[in-house]
Amino acid sequence: MNLRKVMTPATITVALKSDTKEGIIEELVDLLMAAGKIKDLKDRKEALKVVLDREKKMSTGMQNGIAIPHGKTDTVGTLVAAIGLKKEGVDFQALDGQPSRIFIMTLSPDTRTGPHIQFLAEISRQLSDTGIRDRVLNAATPEEVLDILSG
Amino acid sequence: MIPLFPVLANLAPAVDAAPVMESAMMRLVLQLAVILIAAQLVGLFFKRLLRLPGVLGELIAGMIIGPYALGQLPIPGFGPLFPAAATSLGVSVPLYGLATIASILLLFLSGLETDLALFLRYSVVGTAVGIGGVVFSFVLGAQCGVWFGFANSFMDPVALFLGAISTATSVGITARILSERKKTDSPEGVTILAGAVFDDVLGVVMLAIVVGLSKLTDPGGRAPWGHIGRIAGHAIGYWLGFTAIGLLSARLISRVLKTLHSMSSIVSIAFGLALLFAGLLEMAGLAMIIGAYVTGLSLSRTDLAHGIQEHLRGTYEVFVPVFFCVMGMMVDFSALHGVLIFGLVYAVLAMLAKLLGCGLPAWLMTFNLRGAARIGVGMMPRGEVALVIAGLGLSAHVINTQVFGAAILMTMVTTLIAPPLLSKSFGGGSGLKLRARAGTDETIHSVPLELPSADLAEFVLSRLVRSFRAEEFFVYRLGGDTQAYQIRKDDMSFTLSLEANRVVLTTPARHEHVARFIVLEEILELQDMAHAFEKLQDLDTMKSSLLKGLFEDDD
Repeated sequence: MNLRKVMTPATITVALKSDTKEGIIEELVDLLMAAGKIKDLKDRKEALKVVLDREKKMSTGMQNGIAIPHGKTDTVGTLVAAIGLKKEGVDFQALDGQPSRIFIMTLSPDTRTGPHIQFLAEISRQLSDTGIRDRVLNAATPEEVLDILSG
Repeated sequence: MIPLFPVLANLAPAVDAAPVMESAMMRLVLQLAVILIAAQLVGLFFKRLLRLPGVLGELIAGMIIGPYALGQLPIPGFGPLFPAAATSLGVSVPLYGLATIASILLLFLSGLETDLALFLRYSVVGTAVGIGGVVFSFVLGAQCGVWFGFANSFMDPVALFLGAISTATSVGITARILSERKKTDSPEGVTILAGAVFDDVLGVVMLAIVVGLSKLTDPGGRAPWGHIGRIAGHAIGYWLGFTAIGLLSARLISRVLKTLHSMSSIVSIAFGLALLFAGLLEMAGLAMIIGAYVTGLSLSRTDLAHGIQEHLRGTYEVFVPVFFCVMGMMVDFSALHGVLIFGLVYAVLAMLAKLLGCGLPAWLMTFNLRGAARIGVGMMPRGEVALVIAGLGLSAHVINTQVFGAAILMTMVTTLIAPPLLSKSFGGGSGLKLRARAGTDETIHSVPLELPSADLAEFVLSRLVRSFRAEEFFVYRLGGDTQAYQIRKDDMSFTLSLEANRVVLTTPARHEHVARFIVLEEILELQDMAHAFEKLQDLDTMKSSLLKGLFEDDD
């Protein structure tokens, strides 16, 4: 899957500021909004709601410091994705109890078909490789993150 | 070589004489009618009553109605339906042309069904088993021809063809027995299937070389050794080249074809490509069936594979029996007299070759003697491809009717003897060596979901099918009485099946993430639904209003 079709450096940040799950998700949604992927404040609210609702059902904090918050909403027409790094880690109620450091967030249209979950699955699979994970965490710029993951 | 163009050439002069053309076509239509009906009836008898492969029945139907048996009897006012002296092949050119197209269809579909991914995944033991079987079969088959004086030397084209005919395992009947005994996913079953794939691929390469060599050597059978390397290189080069082109362009072709948005157009064009590749490879000095197989193999990696298979299934079931029946018709019984012993020895050697050639590597690697024997026996049956190669040899005048008859006999004997042996061999314990039992390198994982009832399991299954479709996977329901689906996209392939109150998903380790994530999201949604349903405040009112008034008098 071609990562560059879904993401640009504008939807990647290598320094998330927040220390809470809600804060991280809000920052990522704002990143998408700044990049023009989310239209207005009403859509922003909807996007936040679907992602947090999904977290309530089961945390998307996986193992090895990876979290994949996501949600389905028709405020987006195609799959959109944002990536954020928080090198110190944040408690995301992950499966293995460890703090999460790499966050990949996606929003996908509710009523359209597409490889939405597949996208998350493939990127998490990539990140299950320790080498790639470490390189991503050490990346200094969004462009670098994109290079590593699409390489 | 199977001549396709001569068919057209032969029909061309008839255009000048319309009545000749008409009578030739009338004869062809009547012959085809008899073939279709006889092949189906005898085939069904074999399948249903004798529990044997239909191919055997179709072959025997051909022998019965063919020019060397009933077919030569004159029908009053018409003459014989299948006159014996039509050609040196025993059947008329137009009829042989139809059989040729059927054989292209057969090899195209067998290429399509080839699970390259499975093959690569079990490549280590599977490759050893495949190679062992092919080498042993080829050497023993060719040597048998020399021992009985049908060939002067090992390099004689006749010997080469005898070798090639005995290489290709027909895994169909083995697959059926494995699935009947629920052993398809056993280490033996998986190894047999992987070995058979390798066997097919290698068999086709072998055929390419043999065809090339037989064109070069004079009937006396002295192949100049210096040329052999060149011919083999040439054949393998073309084969590899075409396969590479096929595999590389398959994705593009499938993307372009999908824009047509019509499965029937896609299927017709795909078959057109198979014929095109068949013709091109024939022009390159290889055989048409190799081109058909390569085309199928290339498309097998795309998500169109299953759709094409399903759409061609009907055509296949009508026309491929014609091929087997015509092969049966070409058996000249009078030529068989002297070769009965030869045919039987050839058959026994063919079986021994697989038992040793496949069993030995299996035994050396991960299996104990019991497991190795199961694998050897499972690889024994020969069938479709052996017949195709034999037919090709006969039509190219490389082998004579005697050798052809022996080849048919070998196919029949191996197909008759292997199934009961295989079925019996699966009694008893594990076929793995002790140390291999702990950590089999199986990389197909199965994810079972245990549910409280069969009804609920069925519901969950249908929801999962929906989720995979929402992720734009191609989901196909597999035939049979069980509820099972094959789910494919690009080179990903999962199976989803229902076993009473269990839903089982099998997935290759490489794509396990995708499968598990999709299932997890669906389970979360179902959980949500269950909560919402329970919270329905009016559930009680809903229940009672459904029954209200039902038991009151109308007045």
